[in-house]
Amino acid sequence: MSDTKTTPAPGDRTVIGVTFGNSNSSIAYTVDDKAEVIANEDGDRQIPTILSYVDGEEYYGQQAKAFLVRNSKNTVAYFRDFLGKDFKSIDPTHNHASVHPEDVDGSVSFTLTDEEGEDATPSTLSVSEISTRYLRRLVNSASEYLGKKVTSAVITIPTNFNDKQKAALIAAAAAADLEVLQLISEPVAAVVAYDARPEVEIKDKIVVVADLGGTRSDVTVVASRGGLYTILATAHDYDFAGATLDKVLIDHFAKEFAKRNQGIDPRENARSLAKLKFEAEATKRALSLSTNANFSIESLAEGIDFSSTINRLRYETIARSVFEGFNRLVESVIKKAGLDVLDVDEVILSGGTAHTPRIAANFGAIFPESTNILAPSTTPAAINPSELQARGAALQASLIQEYEAEDIDQSTHAAVTTVPHITNAIGVLSVSQSGDEVFVPVVFPETAVPARRTVIVAAPKNGGDVLIKIVEGNTHIKVTQPQPKANGDNSKAAKVEDANSDEDSDFSDDEEEEEEKREKVWKVGATLAEAAIRGVKKGGKVEISINVNADLAVTVTAREVGAKGGVRGQLNA
Amino acid sequence: MATALVSLSLPSLPEGWAAEKDFKPIGKITKDGATQRTIEPVGPHFLAHARRARHKRTFSEDDR
Ligand SMILES: Nc1ncnc2c1ncn2[C@@H]1O[C@H](COP(=O)(O)OP(=O)(O)OP(=O)(O)O)[C@@H](O)[C@H]1O
Ligand SMILES: [Mg+2]
Repeated sequence: MSDTKTTPAPGDRTVIGVTFGNSNSSIAYTVDDKAEVIANEDGDRQIPTILSYVDGEEYYGQQAKAFLVRNSKNTVAYFRDFLGKDFKSIDPTHNHASVHPEDVDGSVSFTLTDEEGEDATPSTLSVSEISTRYLRRLVNSASEYLGKKVTSAVITIPTNFNDKQKAALIAAAAAADLEVLQLISEPVAAVVAYDARPEVEIKDKIVVVADLGGTRSDVTVVASRGGLYTILATAHDYDFAGATLDKVLIDHFAKEFAKRNQGIDPRENARSLAKLKFEAEATKRALSLSTNANFSIESLAEGIDFSSTINRLRYETIARSVFEGFNRLVESVIKKAGLDVLDVDEVILSGGTAHTPRIAANFGAIFPESTNILAPSTTPAAINPSELQARGAALQASLIQEYEAEDIDQSTHAAVTTVPHITNAIGVLSVSQSGDEVFVPVVFPETAVPARRTVIVAAPKNGGDVLIKIVEGNTHIKVTQPQPKANGDNSKAAKVEDANSDEDSDFSDDEEEEEEKREKVWKVGATLAEAAIRGVKKGGKVEISINVNADLAVTVTAREVGAKGGVRGQLNA
Repeated sequence: MATALVSLSLPSLPEGWAAEKDFKPIGKITKDGATQRTIEPVGPHFLAHARRARHKRTFSEDDR
C-alpha cells in the first residue's frame, strides 16, 4: 500500500460493522435500517479469527481452524488481545497449540512459513501484520457479498482496550485498506442491537451485558437513559470462558478414553489434544441445542478411535464450577456499580458461550422475576448472542457513514461525551388511594444532563387546585424477614413445641420456610420546588416536565392536559 | 422519549398555599448531586445529544 492512500469521501463509502474477537469475528451490514450478519464464502457468520498457511496459500476462518490439528506450526490463533501490547504484558495461554507469540523488540510477533516450497524461509510477522491480513480477508468477504468494495467500518472493542491498543487496531485496519469510522465498545454494540428493534420503545433502564466469549468474559453495567448509554461498571475475567468449558469436556472424555484404553491419556500428545479440543467445542455447542450429544474422534491416540455421548445434565454437573464463576462475575460487577440485582431491568447475554441454556437459567435465578433475561433459551425475542456486536456495529456504521471523519472525531471528543450525571432521581410527589405519599420518578439517577423528561399524573378525582411538589428521591432495598411460623397465638408454647418436634414436623417446617422478601422502594429526599395548578377539571390530568440543564439548573413546567397556561419556574444551579 | 403515564394522583393544594406566579423554588441540585461520567458516543440519541452540545442548542430549539 502506498502512503498516498486517502480516506474515501463520505458519499463514496461502503460501510460495514465488524467484530474482531480472539476466537471469532463477524461482519454485518444494514439494509433498510435492519442489520444483517454476512455469511462468508464458507457460509459462516462466526468466522474463527485464525490464519493458516499451507504451501504458501493463505486460509482463514473455519478452514484455518481445521488446520490447527494438522498444521499448527503455520496457524496463528488467539491474537486480537495482543495488538498494541508489549510482549511482557501478554498472556499466551491459548497459543500453546498454534504458533507461539515471540518477543521482537518488546512487541509481539509470530514466525511461520507463509511461502511455497520445501526450502521457503519462515517469516516473522508482527501481530499488526497478522491482524491486517486477517481483516483484509474479512473485508474481502464482505465486499464480495455486497458486490462493491467495502471502504469503511465501525469495529467493536472491549471496554478495557487502551489508547495504544485502539491506535494499533486502527493502523492494522488502515493497512488492510479499511477506514475505521469509529471504535465502539462491545457491550454497547450489543445494547444498540437490541434497542434498534422497531418495536422497542426507548425507556430508562439499567442493563447488564454479559459477554461470554471463548477466552474471556466481560460483564458491563450500562445505564440507558433516554437512549443515551453510560457505562457504570465493568468486570473482566480470563479464567471462566468458553475455553474453560471446552476443557471440562476434554478432561471428561480423556479420562473415559484412558479408562477404556489401558490408561492412555490423549491429552499428553499435542495432536490428540488438538483433536479433543475441536470435538469438545462441537459437543459443547450441540449441548446448547439438544439434551444429548455425541463425542467421536477417529484415531484419537495411538490409532484408537473413540466414541462416546454425554447428556446435558451430566455436562451441567461437571461444568458447575465454571457456571458459578459466571454468576460471581455478574454479581461482582453489579456491586461495583453500587447497585442491587433489583435495580437491573435487562440482562443481555452476548457472545458465543451465552448460547448455553444453563447460564441463562442461572442468571434467571440471581435476578428477580421483573428482570428481563435476554437469551435464546429464555425468550423467543432474543437476538442470536453471537451476532449482537456485529449488528450493533453495522447500525452505528450506517448511522455515521455520511459524516466527515473530523465531524465524528469532534462528536466523540470528551468535551461532548463527558458530562454530569445526576446522582438522585428527580420526581414528583403523588398520593396513593390509601393516602400515602408516593414518589413518582421523572428523571432517573445516572441520567446525563442536559436531560428533559415528562410525566402525566392524574389530578384528584374531583379536580380543583393541585400541588406539584418536585423532590429528589432515591431507592433503597427493603428487606422483610419471614415471620417466624408460630402455631397458635402463644409463641412461647409454639417454641417449646418446636423443640420437642419429631422428624415429621421438622420436615413440614422446612417446606414452609419462607425466604426473606427484598424489594426496591423509593425514598423521598430534599424538596426542590412547589407549584400550583389551579382549577383542574374533574378527572383532569397534569403534565409535568423537568428539564435539567448542563449546569444543573432545573426548569419545571406544569399544565393541565388540554388546558392553556400552566406554571413555569427555574431553580438556578 | 415517550411520556410516562402514572395512575396515582397529585395531592390537593394545601389551604393558604401561595407563591409568586404559583411557583416556589426551594432547593437546587448542587455539584455534589452529580458525577462526571462519559456517555458512549453510540446510537441515534447520542447523535442528537452531540448536535445540541456542539451547536449549544437546547431541547426546545432542537425540536423546532
Ligand atoms: N451454541 C453454543 N453453545 C455454547 N458455546 C458456544 C456456542 N457457540 C459458540 N460457543 C462458544 O463461544 C466461544 C466463542 O465466543 P465468541 O464467538 O463470542 O468469541 P470471541 O468474542 O472472539 O471470544 P474471546 O475474545 O473471548 O476469545 C467459544 O468458546 C465457542 O465454543
Ligand atoms: Mg467477544
